[in-house]
Amino acid sequence: MNTPAALSGVLEGTLVIESGDERGEFAGVLLASFGAEVIKLEGRQGSNSRRLGPFASPQPDPEQSLCFWRYNLGKKSVSLEVDHPSAQGALERLAQRADVIIDSGEANDVERRLTLYRKMQAANPRLIICTITPFGLDGPYRDLKMTDLTQLAMGGVMASCGYDPQSDGTYDTPPIAPGMWQAYHIACEHAVIALAAALNFRELTDEGDCIDVSIHEAVSTCTEVALPYYIYNEAVVRRQTGRHAGTGRTPPWLRRTKDNRYVKAFLFWAGRELRAIPEMLNEAGLEHDLDSDAYRELAKSSPADAQKHFSAAVDKLVASMTAEEVYHKAQAKGLLWASVRYPEENMDDPHYQARGTFQAINQPEIGRELSYPVSAATDGKNRVTDFKRGAPHLGEHTREVLEQAGLSEGEIRALDIEGII
Amino acid sequence: MAQSESAKPTKRRPLEGVRVIDLTKIVAGPNATRMLATMGAEVIRVEWHDQRALDLLRGVQPKAPGGEPDSLNRSGLFNNINPGKYGVTLNMSLPQGRDLFKRFIAKASVVCENYSPGQMDRWELGYDVLRQINPELIYLQISGMGKSGTYNDYLSVGPTAQALSGLTHMSGLPEPMQPAGWGYSYLDHSTGYYGAMHVLMALVNRRKTGRGCYIDLSQAETGLMVSGTATLEAQLTGQATQRHGNRMPAADWAPHGAYACQGTDEWITIAVQTDEQWQAVVAVMGSPDWAGAGRFQTAAGRKANEDALDALMAEFTKNEERYELMGRLQKHGIPSGVVQKSIDRITRDPQLKERGAFVPFPHSEIGTWPIEDFPAKFQNMPVSVGGLPGRGAPCMGEDNDVVYRDVLGLSVEDIAQLREDWII
Repeated sequence: MNTPAALSGVLEGTLVIESGDERGEFAGVLLASFGAEVIKLEGRQGSNSRRLGPFASPQPDPEQSLCFWRYNLGKKSVSLEVDHPSAQGALERLAQRADVIIDSGEANDVERRLTLYRKMQAANPRLIICTITPFGLDGPYRDLKMTDLTQLAMGGVMASCGYDPQSDGTYDTPPIAPGMWQAYHIACEHAVIALAAALNFRELTDEGDCIDVSIHEAVSTCTEVALPYYIYNEAVVRRQTGRHAGTGRTPPWLRRTKDNRYVKAFLFWAGRELRAIPEMLNEAGLEHDLDSDAYRELAKSSPADAQKHFSAAVDKLVASMTAEEVYHKAQAKGLLWASVRYPEENMDDPHYQARGTFQAINQPEIGRELSYPVSAATDGKNRVTDFKRGAPHLGEHTREVLEQAGLSEGEIRALDIEGII
Repeated sequence: MAQSESAKPTKRRPLEGVRVIDLTKIVAGPNATRMLATMGAEVIRVEWHDQRALDLLRGVQPKAPGGEPDSLNRSGLFNNINPGKYGVTLNMSLPQGRDLFKRFIAKASVVCENYSPGQMDRWELGYDVLRQINPELIYLQISGMGKSGTYNDYLSVGPTAQALSGLTHMSGLPEPMQPAGWGYSYLDHSTGYYGAMHVLMALVNRRKTGRGCYIDLSQAETGLMVSGTATLEAQLTGQATQRHGNRMPAADWAPHGAYACQGTDEWITIAVQTDEQWQAVVAVMGSPDWAGAGRFQTAAGRKANEDALDALMAEFTKNEERYELMGRLQKHGIPSGVVQKSIDRITRDPQLKERGAFVPFPHSEIGTWPIEDFPAKFQNMPVSVGGLPGRGAPCMGEDNDVVYRDVLGLSVEDIAQLREDWII
């Protein structure tokens, strides 16, 4: 992977200022992956995410938070108390050459800073501002206190995720919020789409924009069939274990393997499955009657019983192999099955190595490299996005960035003395 | 191409002048092109009647009530995923169809497809061929695993990619419970977002350099991009990633979960991050004796006794009405939210209503239905999920006449002949 990533330089020369909290950090990461210079403004205590684990160190250390490292990859850090009135001058200077400002957090906090950003935009009309808040900057829920968990609840994701009901139809398990930070991922992905559209718009019109992203609305648009079922049929989907929520009960997808793992083994009762599974049973040396006259007769006379019988044979097949064996053998037969992997099991997979999915980033804090997933695409050979640097130390780039923004030594010293940087 | 008068904005759209030829199907690809249409691209869906080229989503439930049950134009999900696009039919399995396709490519900015791996090459319409026709073309190819690499002939749908990437494993209660996974194809949505994002960045690039590019987007890699800190932690600990239910493993946040309320399958989530918030929860609960007990006084204590804490919280919430409780908790600044079902989001969520999260757009066969809007407000850019035509999804081949006339310059007679020859 020696060639530069195809789209990693697209935003080279684009300056992004990121302020706020953990809700918007992934947007900055995505922009940095496309080559933007992302300057993260942190208070002197550092971002919230520096205090979230897991930590590389035995004890919590704001410079060793994996959460901070993951969600601030490729950024520069400027320590600046943005809410302090004396920070305004430095912010205005930074914004003069900025292309994008991202701010995230509770609406009140963001709105307070937005007043300042709008002044900056008046001086620099090409500036694009994007706020990411729990509910957007207006509406009756605007000021509700939210976390990733509660956003996934309100936005509808949790109502579709969880376990099967009991035989009487009632649930004895809660709805599940898939981890982690998925509400923030969804919102930030929409923010970056909006920002990329705004960069195109700016080329056409020479105008920036002010974009108000609602995490709630973003999550709510990401629930697939749940809303259409209610809108069109007034039907409400119910959650099921390891498969799509539905208006009726569907057969299980998850099956246990010989190595006590799971595979996702769908059965759509299509011709390909009906051919492939008896073949796989034969190849595994397992007895079955799926190609017998008796089974064919059962399939005609009682399709439901035949499906149960077929499904039991699939259970036997899956239980005879490891998850990875099932996965590769099933794919070789054209089935859509997959092993239920741990995320880290993909790191040594030759497929991802060939595509350069992971990038080794030096972590001097722990004296070693860590591999991060950095790209979802290739240009046919090489990954299309990557990072020039790991996550920054708190205030690592304060002096460098402020000098570039035109602040004099005396001005920087004054900010330091006042406790603003 | 002519735009709906009612859909014409006063300002220029962000993707004005961008034409997208859309060969995508199901959800991942169409979600990407949905975003491009929303941003003002002219998106032309190209479909055909055989199984390989027909979007299966046209046939899935839920369907708009009434009408012909076998109609390809009544799926509510299809309507929600494909608004703002034009629709044409084109038989790509015939050489004449592929020739017409190449004429589209000559006049396009972007082509998006998520056929089975290798299908475009079998038609001799791979990127290397198409870029000869149009060197500025941006070609987005979406597949489960990605076209390059060792799994390029593996087949995948959203749940396959979710399983492989680790997202299925990470969602659910800890062992010995099974993974709960995702109750829908999350990676169809996310991959659509990444598809749109990459095309938009490629358009920025093309404005600067004049060059097109090829983007081989993988659903499974998209899953890895949103797998959080799991791969990092595993590298450091050597331990396999665990599931944590609804709890917060990265901080001493407790209680942090979903708790059953009054009614059938009604739940509320509560996420306490600080001691102050916990004291407020205790006050809302009426200061029960157990909540003042020593083991729950500190964040560390609550975290260490989370099983007991959750059981006691559930005892409290089971007699509470979920929205009323959320109101009381929120009044005290406690992060909390009802687990809203679809019915709740449509009928009880004043925020989605006031922000206009569902926009009514007409559809030529099923009438006017609400479509989920892009989840942001814009001060300057005219952005509309109804796109240039200002409507819901196209019916099968609905825009054949106008597209073949305006884009390819064909005459009425030519178009009639193509229809007769089963090419369009």
